Amino acid sequence: MADTAVAHEGHTSSTGISNVKLGMWLFLGSECLLFGGLISTYMLYRGRVSNGPTPEQVYDIPFTSVSSFVLLMSSLTMVLAVSAAAKKDDRGTNLWLVVTALLGATFVGGQVYEFTAFYNEGLGFTTSLFGSSFYTLTGFHGVHVTVGIIMLMALVAINKRSRVPGSKAETVEMIGLYWHFVDIVWIIIFTLVYLIPV
Amino acid sequence: MNHRRSTEPHVTRRFSLSRMRRTPLSRAMVRATTAVGAVVGLGSCATNAAQDTWQPKGPNAKMIDDLQQPIFAVAGIIGIIVFAAVSYAIWRFKDRGQPIPEQTHGKPALEITLTVIPALILAVVGVFTFRVIFDLAKTDDTELVINVTGQQWWWEYDYPAQNEWGITQPIITSGQLVMPVGTKVLLRETSRDVIHSYWIPALNGKRDAVPGRIHTLRLEADEPGIYAGQCTEFCGLSHANMRMEAVALSKEDFATWVANQQAAYQSPAEGTLAKEGESVFLNQCVRCHQVDGLKRPDGSLAIAAPDENVWSGAAPNLTNLMTRNTFAGAMFDLLRDACRDDVWNAESAEFGAKYLAGVDEACLNVNDLRAWLRNAPEVKPMYANPALLADTNGKYRGMPNLGLSESDIDKLVAYLLTLK
Amino acid sequence: MAIIERPAPGTTLVPALAPSAPAITPARTFGALRRPVATTGWKSWLFTVDHKKLGLMYGATALFFFIIGGLEAVLIRLQLAAPEGKVLNADLYNQMFTMHATTMVFLFVMPMAAGFANYFLPLQIGARDVAFPRINAFGFWCLLAGGIVVNLAWFFGGAADGGWFMYAPNSGPVFSPSHGVDFWALGLQIAGIASLTGAINLIVTVLNMRAPGMTLMKMPIFTWMITVVQFLLLFAVPVITVALFLLTFQRSFDAKFFDVAAGADPLLWQHLFWIFGHPEVYILVLPSFGIISEVLPVFSRKPLFGYPFVVFSGAAIGFVGWGVWAHHMFASGLGPVSVAVFSLATMAIAVPTGVKIINWTLTMWGGKLVFTTAMKFAVGLIILFTIGGLSGVTHSVAPSDTQQTDTYYIVAHFHYVLFGGAIFGIFSGFYYWWPKMFGKMLNERLGSWNFWLMVIGMNLTFGPMHILGLQGQPRRMYQWTEARAGEGFFNLGFWNLIASIGSIILTLGVLFFLINIVVTARSKVRAPLDPWNARSLEWMTSNPPKEHNFDSIPHVNHLDEFFHRKYEEDPTTHTMREVATAEQVLAELEKNADAHIHMPSPSYWPIVLAAGMPVVALGVIYSIPVAIVGGLIMLYAIYGWALEPATAPAIDHDESSSNGHNGHAVGASHG
Repeated sequence: MADTAVAHEGHTSSTGISNVKLGMWLFLGSECLLFGGLISTYMLYRGRVSNGPTPEQVYDIPFTSVSSFVLLMSSLTMVLAVSAAAKKDDRGTNLWLVVTALLGATFVGGQVYEFTAFYNEGLGFTTSLFGSSFYTLTGFHGVHVTVGIIMLMALVAINKRSRVPGSKAETVEMIGLYWHFVDIVWIIIFTLVYLIPV
Repeated sequence: MNHRRSTEPHVTRRFSLSRMRRTPLSRAMVRATTAVGAVVGLGSCATNAAQDTWQPKGPNAKMIDDLQQPIFAVAGIIGIIVFAAVSYAIWRFKDRGQPIPEQTHGKPALEITLTVIPALILAVVGVFTFRVIFDLAKTDDTELVINVTGQQWWWEYDYPAQNEWGITQPIITSGQLVMPVGTKVLLRETSRDVIHSYWIPALNGKRDAVPGRIHTLRLEADEPGIYAGQCTEFCGLSHANMRMEAVALSKEDFATWVANQQAAYQSPAEGTLAKEGESVFLNQCVRCHQVDGLKRPDGSLAIAAPDENVWSGAAPNLTNLMTRNTFAGAMFDLLRDACRDDVWNAESAEFGAKYLAGVDEACLNVNDLRAWLRNAPEVKPMYANPALLADTNGKYRGMPNLGLSESDIDKLVAYLLTLK
Repeated sequence: MAIIERPAPGTTLVPALAPSAPAITPARTFGALRRPVATTGWKSWLFTVDHKKLGLMYGATALFFFIIGGLEAVLIRLQLAAPEGKVLNADLYNQMFTMHATTMVFLFVMPMAAGFANYFLPLQIGARDVAFPRINAFGFWCLLAGGIVVNLAWFFGGAADGGWFMYAPNSGPVFSPSHGVDFWALGLQIAGIASLTGAINLIVTVLNMRAPGMTLMKMPIFTWMITVVQFLLLFAVPVITVALFLLTFQRSFDAKFFDVAAGADPLLWQHLFWIFGHPEVYILVLPSFGIISEVLPVFSRKPLFGYPFVVFSGAAIGFVGWGVWAHHMFASGLGPVSVAVFSLATMAIAVPTGVKIINWTLTMWGGKLVFTTAMKFAVGLIILFTIGGLSGVTHSVAPSDTQQTDTYYIVAHFHYVLFGGAIFGIFSGFYYWWPKMFGKMLNERLGSWNFWLMVIGMNLTFGPMHILGLQGQPRRMYQWTEARAGEGFFNLGFWNLIASIGSIILTLGVLFFLINIVVTARSKVRAPLDPWNARSLEWMTSNPPKEHNFDSIPHVNHLDEFFHRKYEEDPTTHTMREVATAEQVLAELEKNADAHIHMPSPSYWPIVLAAGMPVVALGVIYSIPVAIVGGLIMLYAIYGWALEPATAPAIDHDESSSNGHNGHAVGASHG
């Protein structure tokens, strides 16, 4: 995401990993703590329902399983995009990036549907501690997926005009790292939030 | 720096050091160190500050003190060693023109030794600390339980029924925690609004009172007397004014106190100023403040409803107000200074009788009490401005200005004096 | 500006490289604006991505907030000089101590360390800039924006009043009805972005951009300590981010997180806050440890004693620092098992801390000590931090801590750690690095006044607080009363007065520093190239350094590379004798000067992106549409950022090289 002091660009870095990729890894390390904090908050509060429905009453496990599967599949297509980019296959890269973004969008759409359904069943953001912490945790994740979709689409748009600055394959790989991270976080959230009973 | 005394080249280009020589760092450093030491030493001289943490008056506080005194001593000695070493280095190795020394990068054996020694000292400290932590947490041999509830900015003491102490119905009081000496008292703390912290330094360390949780703290006093404390968790506007006093009475005196707290309410005689005060109280104060047994003119019991007026949902119970020495969250004394000193400084044998005598008209700190009744928020910062109650559904945090007339205040003071 | 053509002396012009690949040229830009080019005037600061300029801007901002925070402290001490103080009312006093701590921690010590790190870390490792220069600029502007938002509350109905630890539920909308806490939470959130981006940036810089030959164990110790701090920030900032989000969601959108009536547990905040807050203590103090670990060897004319021990103890502090947070909660009611575990962990962290003190002392041992002001501050730190460290050990003993916590004893303790530790280190850094940053030396006579007034003032202010605390005076009280002050002349009243007098002396000391800055700025005397006979790479270039830092990147063979280029060991006496002057070392480097040094161009977008954030913050507090406007500004800035051409228009370069740079520059910018 940034200029690199040009004097070093192109030279081998001390670690052998490029600056942007190393930076992304560090950022994701930091994100682990962010989601760690949010997940802990949820785990502490999920059973505290002073008002409104309990988790068991609103969760629709089959539905969420399907949308989780969709998100999981998007990691696969992301891998395909990265491998296409490594082979300098522009068409393939673009195709798989778009598919990844679409799968991501399907997941976010599912989340919007789920939120609406929960809201209609009486679980608002301010209903109970469970409500506040559920929407905060899954909302933060949803925002991360959305940011990922925007990055993917922007990459496709720039790629089409052949304007990806720097190494194209590396940029795809970097966004791929982010995308896989968001997926892995969802697997954790899905397990802890939906599957483990209170 | 001058050339003759230095082997370092290019000195002239580097800045001159001659000025520093006139204020020898070493001597000044030593002096500063001694001064700090002296200051700390002086501080430990007893000034009888009411909340001195180094004057334990009960077994729990003594346990802490016995643990910490050697640690302070060891820390002090280590400090002195470090100061001495640094001061010596400053004096000994000052640039007197010696050559630039060998560029040694350290001696691992020395390093490891100097790492292991403090680690060992701390390990020893750790063992003792461990034991005291668990000893202090013991609750299974408790002899008396008192529920302590904090709210902005006063403490409520609620003695659940405990027949062995003569407490047949719960006693609810505030301002002073009354307890028998030589008794293992367990405080069960909680809060009705924000976090507070209960602390009587002479009797034990502090423990936070957290809303939604019950924390326990053990107190035990060796001698009759009054032990001062203060809320130590920042709790908003009048945090500084949220004080407490623990009163230790002999077991006989405590029994007398319990009996008095449970005695039936006595209405003032008809036609007295106090009787008029009772009706002012019924009109104004009883909205929040309970006086057990107080009846309305129609014969019904007057039940306070602080939950409708105060955010925390509680206001001090004023039954037997004049048996306490303080009011308004122990911010003010109910006793004039002379009478207060008489109680606080009493010999332990006489203390009980003096304390149980309570407050009479001659001893009443009438100025502070009247000021409080006249306009409470003026003498104690509280969120009691009627214009700013939007966030609290119209409820006050603290006591509002009731706009009482001077004659109403006269009557109220006369009435309050009867609450013994 | 963007490209520095520096033909090596004695060689002919290097032929221009042929442009490769389709380059983004200014003409084909689809960013909304082109890249700025100013090299002078205010624009050169506003749009700069130069790590040295940003370092100075961090420093200037921090110094400004230091003055604000200092004045807040003086008001606090004036209020407490006598019983029943009337200088401030309870409400203002609560705001004052909240903002004093917030300002000093988040807006002075952290950014000042960031400033030193920005300026000197690349120089110390022989790099020409940081890894992500635009993100670096963005970080600075976030910090400034955050600082402004936090302080804006003073003018919008009162600043935050819940203490810097902002314990729930006292921070909730009912108990703190003004918008102060909202400004506080959002402002710190924005400032947190600066810490996070700075952490990523500096870690990548250290890991990837060291000069050839500089292994990790040959890195200057300051760089090491800064690296540890960046890892702490990387993992601590997201935790406070979560806590601040929960707080903001509760206050602005009625979430229930700290609503006890709904079943919330107020201890959640405490855990989140201190999981961040304890590493934060080391974030504050380790940079200063790094500074004096540079200063002590230079003025002892000896390498740092036990360099690997100091490195590993720094790293150990960084690790163990994560396992001690609950020692801030010994009175919170955690239960004896947790208390015992955290008590022992806290004792354990005293060991690596002690290692540092031992190593500093032994660095001086057998040296040739030169007592410049920088050295005085460094030695002052050893003494004062030792006092703070030892009082820290007394409250690692949990039962003892239950008597001390939330009293002035704690205030004394952490001021010895943070004033005696962090701030003395920072002042040592000022005096040591001033000639490097500005090419002029701070006046040593004024420096002496500065130092001695600060030492005396600091001990008079915070020394008596040990006594106040042990005699039972709690913290955060807007007034204290004669009734509990004890008897005799040396009662609490006396010590409170001494502390207040001390704070005035301390203020005078700082004033001497400010005077010194002005006097130095007006002085015409230039600093010599190597005024201190220094040891590390940042001195192996001009004062102040050129934009590209080094004419040629030195190859590093030693820890203290610069020193070893100047001195050689006498084989018989083992003392050192000079073999080259600093000028000669530099001239040697100049000979091999790189022909093409391409520095990143300035950019509009970091400041625009950061400017969107306070708009979002104000929107969250007052009206969501405003927040949306702020969000749009940020989106626009990201768009501009991503598509910004890598360099400024060619017209601004030296004609002879204008067609040569594109090929290189293409690789420089990632969206």
